Amino acid sequence: MIGVRGLSVTFQSKGREVRAVEDVSLSVAKGESFGLVGESGSGKSTILRAICGLAPVTAGEIEIGGAPVPTPRGKGFAERVQMVFQDPYASLHPRHTIDRTLSEPLAIHAVGDTDQRVMQALADVGLPTSFRFRYPHQLSGGQRQRVAIARALMLQPQVLLLDEPTSALDASVQAETLNLLSRLRDERGLTFLMVSHDLAVIDHMCDRVLVMQHGRAVEEMSRADLAAARMKTDYARSLFEASADRMLG
Amino acid sequence: MTLLSVKDLRVTFDTEAGVVEAVRGVSFSLGRERLGIVGESGSGKTMTGRSVLRLIRPPGRIDAAEMVFDGQDLMKASEREMRALRGQRIAMVMQDPKYSLNPVMQVGAQLMEGLRQRDRLGGAEAKKKAIAALEAVQIRDPERVMAAYPHELSGGMGQRVMIAMMLIPNPDLLIADEPTSALDVTVQAEVLSILDGLVRDRGMGLIFISHDLRLVARFCDRVLVMYKGKIVEELAARDLLAAKHPYTQGLLNCLPRIGGDRGPLPGLDRTADWARA
Repeated sequence: MIGVRGLSVTFQSKGREVRAVEDVSLSVAKGESFGLVGESGSGKSTILRAICGLAPVTAGEIEIGGAPVPTPRGKGFAERVQMVFQDPYASLHPRHTIDRTLSEPLAIHAVGDTDQRVMQALADVGLPTSFRFRYPHQLSGGQRQRVAIARALMLQPQVLLLDEPTSALDASVQAETLNLLSRLRDERGLTFLMVSHDLAVIDHMCDRVLVMQHGRAVEEMSRADLAAARMKTDYARSLFEASADRMLG
Repeated sequence: MTLLSVKDLRVTFDTEAGVVEAVRGVSFSLGRERLGIVGESGSGKTMTGRSVLRLIRPPGRIDAAEMVFDGQDLMKASEREMRALRGQRIAMVMQDPKYSLNPVMQVGAQLMEGLRQRDRLGGAEAKKKAIAALEAVQIRDPERVMAAYPHELSGGMGQRVMIAMMLIPNPDLLIADEPTSALDVTVQAEVLSILDGLVRDRGMGLIFISHDLRLVARFCDRVLVMYKGKIVEELAARDLLAAKHPYTQGLLNCLPRIGGDRGPLPGLDRTADWARA
């Protein structure tokens, strides 16, 4: 479903070149969930942004559904791939009601039946329909992230790119949001490419995980390898050891 | 020896919609040890930490039967006396270095500001002390960091700078409000071990405020679990797995585990009797 080959992203900053991603390849099958894990600055979010056309790709190929993505990405891309961002406080327009946020993609793509679709989208992510005309500041962090997920699903995409979708949320709200994502994935057969710094979250959601460091892929592991602590590289092991999960016996 | 003792602390906000009680009768005492305060957003943990420094702005109001720091009654202290305590004897590390450092001032100037204004040190000596402080939090190239602006630093680096800044006056009590939540796990471990070493070497008291129960359990001696402004459970960190209160158990259980099963994670039952109290 998602194919990335030899991807490099280089930013120009003050005449210096910053290589955010260097020669990273990954492929995600349809219906699979793939995790990217690493520290900040390891390039994991940049890969998601590069797929969406939000980062300057300097080398490599990106394919969705077997075909190379066009540049600029265009409407067809948005219908198939959507992204959920980390911070629900920053990713929703503060002066747009939930209704406007959710109906905008429908208007752009000239999808009819807006009223019914917005109500259904709210119901799908477990929000009461009374929230429809509220503003983001009237919602809690977990509720906002639900709105962000609902917005991403408005066009019924096949692929969701999840950039730390729960790291800004409380533990119990994180549990609810992860449960919601799992349910939506099962119901709609979604393909997830998920970024997180939390190995336990990745392990819970993903079938395979790619460990990244300094913009490079360090090691790819299956879920079974991760659970059994069969990592080949020292860096992956150190991430595993430092994971909050290991703190209790 | 008791460094800080708090009895029946209440923080109330008189709003147009009525009185909101953010902290409702919290009591604890602290020696030169590491005390963890855990809870979710809105549990009043941050307000509890800020109350100790009387950093609650109107319409917020602090009431307490007793709040004594090293023999000094914090409830009766004048604003002038509080200023002498803040930073000098009780320091606070905030959650996000992005918001607590001045974005248009070089890190070095911020570090030296206190030394020059408060301690009346000369430029060269202040610089020496600032560099020593950065080295204490294991920043390898302090000269570069001194000349950098906050946006040029990574999150972990920024948080270390904050910790260094707070530790320059050598306080007796450090209140760390989510000091590592914005950081990566490996950096988190580093920052925690730096904090740990400093607490041990300097014999400081530490109040460690966090939403992460497992982190607190590993790092602290004692843990207070807060929910809706009240302490629902107090326990030694090593006994955490034997927690009795359903909220503490719920907080522990709702976290995913590596190698755990992938069924839905148990959520918190907020309709139970304990949640309504």
